[in-house]
Amino acid sequence: MSLAIQTVGLRHKVASSFEIAHLDMAVPAGSVYGFLGPNGAGKTTVIRLLLGLLKPDGGAITVLGESMPQHYASVLARVGYVPERPHLYPSISIEEAIRLHRAFFPTWDQRWADELAGQFGLDVTRKLSALSKGENGKVMMLLALAQKPELLVLDEPTDGLDPVVRRDLLAALLDYVTDREATVLISSHLVHELERICDWIGLLDHGRMVTQMPMQEFKNGLKRLRVGKAPLALDNAPFTLLSRERTHASGEQWLVQGWNPDMQEYLVSAGVALREVVDLDLEDGFVELLRSSRDNHE
Amino acid sequence: MFGAITAIQWKWSRGPALLATLIGFLIPVLSLQSARRALLTADEFVYIMQQFSIGYSMLAAGAGLVVALAAWAHDHRGRHVYALSLPVARWRYALMRFGAGALFLLAPTAGVLAGSLVVAAMGAVPSGLHVYPVALTLRFAFASGVAYAIFFAISASTAKTAGVILGIIGAFLLAQTTLAMLAVRYDLLSSVSTLIFSPPGILSVFAGRWMLIDV
Repeated sequence: MSLAIQTVGLRHKVASSFEIAHLDMAVPAGSVYGFLGPNGAGKTTVIRLLLGLLKPDGGAITVLGESMPQHYASVLARVGYVPERPHLYPSISIEEAIRLHRAFFPTWDQRWADELAGQFGLDVTRKLSALSKGENGKVMMLLALAQKPELLVLDEPTDGLDPVVRRDLLAALLDYVTDREATVLISSHLVHELERICDWIGLLDHGRMVTQMPMQEFKNGLKRLRVGKAPLALDNAPFTLLSRERTHASGEQWLVQGWNPDMQEYLVSAGVALREVVDLDLEDGFVELLRSSRDNHE
Repeated sequence: MFGAITAIQWKWSRGPALLATLIGFLIPVLSLQSARRALLTADEFVYIMQQFSIGYSMLAAGAGLVVALAAWAHDHRGRHVYALSLPVARWRYALMRFGAGALFLLAPTAGVLAGSLVVAAMGAVPSGLHVYPVALTLRFAFASGVAYAIFFAISASTAKTAGVILGIIGAFLLAQTTLAMLAVRYDLLSSVSTLIFSPPGILSVFAGRWMLIDV
């Protein structure tokens, strides 16, 4: 599996109380990688490190086969970036922003930029300062897409936008990914939104990668098991027991990863009575994984 | 890339740059008008012209300051995220911003040259005196370039660096106050000022006589 983004042991101290700690991250080429995490988890910091906007304290970053931040100029020419907050100069118009931006990107496709402007309903003569949050989001997405990047890095691109604008942006994004087989790293705390579009997810909390795996595996393998009395220790379990808690006198609730129905035999042999297997959607899984990760670190 | 940066930066700088151009044109013309109002001896004529020296140096410093601030103000507002995400070496980006701003200083310089040439063309100069339009213009260009370079560097730097610079200035003021309180007869600020504004001090180009008409 070739990787569009890889970090190994990435470290960056943001403040005395917060750091990105030994982060290992792998974004497969051609995937739509959902970068999940609660507010303040460090997603934006990681993205800025990936793009060379911040300098890491340690570890290695490889983006599109080149090490960062050493080769930032050649890497950024192949990356479309939509930051969390509007970063364009507010005093210029959309068409001036387009003129400025395209001068830096040799792969710029003006015809497609015009098409996107029409599709998004943007009046290119308007000043950026006069645009709504949704319109600003559309302009940033237009700029990122029309440069025809191999990798799109979107930091909370739809945060605070209304559902119609959100749908427009995600539709344009998916069209692009389908046409170009580009890689997308999209960060968000809007779990449902990512569930629809991502094929990989990585979950970050307090600067640590809690888990990363294919979406399908996440959805299928993460279960809540309701069991009867169970031994304190489980030897050679074929799944990962992320958390366990007593529900009442004779029962427990487990959060397990890597579950499949064949594993019921193991439970029988371990003397555990399985009462129910509960499917988790991405949001449930997200919350449960965060909870278990935090419990394990306390 | 340079063209695109120049176009955007011109938008932010054109107002002050055009105003400076107009003032640059008017100073030499007004200086001559003032000197011609009465029949003056050559010495008196030169004295009047000298009164306008400060105008040229202030204009050079002001134009440098405003164009330098305009070069970075919008990047500062966006915390430089846009600039940092562009696929261009950062030193090159800074150099392009610098180059674009430096180009705009040609406008007030042209204003000074045009005003000086008008004065030269009028030819109403007492005998024994000469008009130096090119020398004055070159001095103005150099001074505005020095001011621009200094303010550009400060403006491009982080808030921390700006704090260090202000801290150094504050330390000098504090030291001067302390010396005065201790009844030490030493004028630290004058010494520093002499060091900076006298040749070969970094700002010496701003001091002295800026003479359009001289012996």
